[in-house]
Amino acid sequence: MSLFDRIQHADDALNWHGDMPTEGRYTVGIAGEKFFREIKDSGQFLATVCLDCDITYMPPRLYCEQCFAHLDEWLEVDNSAHVHTFTVVHQNLDEEPLPAPQIMAFVTLDDTDGGLVHYLGEVDAEDVYLGMPVEAVFKSEDEREGSITDVKYFRPV
Amino acid sequence: MKEFVYDSVYLRREDFEEGRVLFETWDPNARYAWDAGVAIGRYLQELKAGRLIGRSCPECNRILIPPRMFCESCFYPTDRWVPLEDTGTVLTFSRCYVTWDMVKLEKPQIPAVIEIDGASPGMGIMHILGEVDPDAVAIGMRVGAVWKPPEERTGSINDIAYFRPLAD
Repeated sequence: MSLFDRIQHADDALNWHGDMPTEGRYTVGIAGEKFFREIKDSGQFLATVCLDCDITYMPPRLYCEQCFAHLDEWLEVDNSAHVHTFTVVHQNLDEEPLPAPQIMAFVTLDDTDGGLVHYLGEVDAEDVYLGMPVEAVFKSEDEREGSITDVKYFRPV
Repeated sequence: MKEFVYDSVYLRREDFEEGRVLFETWDPNARYAWDAGVAIGRYLQELKAGRLIGRSCPECNRILIPPRMFCESCFYPTDRWVPLEDTGTVLTFSRCYVTWDMVKLEKPQIPAVIEIDGASPGMGIMHILGEVDPDAVAIGMRVGAVWKPPEERTGSINDIAYFRPLAD
């Protein structure tokens, strides 16, 4: 480049590349601690109940969203659920294609007022329908580490 | 965490490492590319060639380094590239005993702002001083660039390895 030239070609424009090494840790909180420990130790879902408002929180909350009462009524919840809504995912968060499409669903846990977003398994996407009864499949006890992925997926009953 | 960990809500490193608290980790892909633009783009290309270059402002006649396309003082577009020397004067410096990610250093790094010869007074670049006794560094010290060999240069400010005191 002579002294008075501006950049004439895109190839001459320089990019500066960088990487921000960051790692986030998000603690699951007091209610989450009890919820996930129970999943890890006994493969059992827990919910909290607000008796005044007649709401069963799943996943459990420490406070009622309606009346702000502190909730200390804990309830064991069956692992049966129904598909509330679902979608089929073909790409990951970085828009790279997945090895195989995954079915993501919001399933409402029976006898609660809440539910979980999770995978559906052992089923073809064409066969999934709204309201389909499903059940949670847990990893074996030695594989569980106190995370939502201790549930492998929900499968049709 | 009170009921599950201990009597305080503050978490320690061991609570995570020893599994006393459950948590999710998140490792975002935070890579980025930043367009250097016209002025810095040319500046980096000249660094690769082993030269320092500035821009001059037609209004205040200052010679600016690092170069920019606008004078930040009078808002005029700069209009001329000005080749500069790779020597200069220490304007300010520090002795730094920790790295940016908090690793302790026995031998300090000496970051300094160096007023470049040929540029206007106060115009300088930040760099590292080398081949110098940390206690001997002083404001006003004359220094010169030590360039990496041409094949190692990438078009970066690090194409200058460091500045060292001039012999005279």
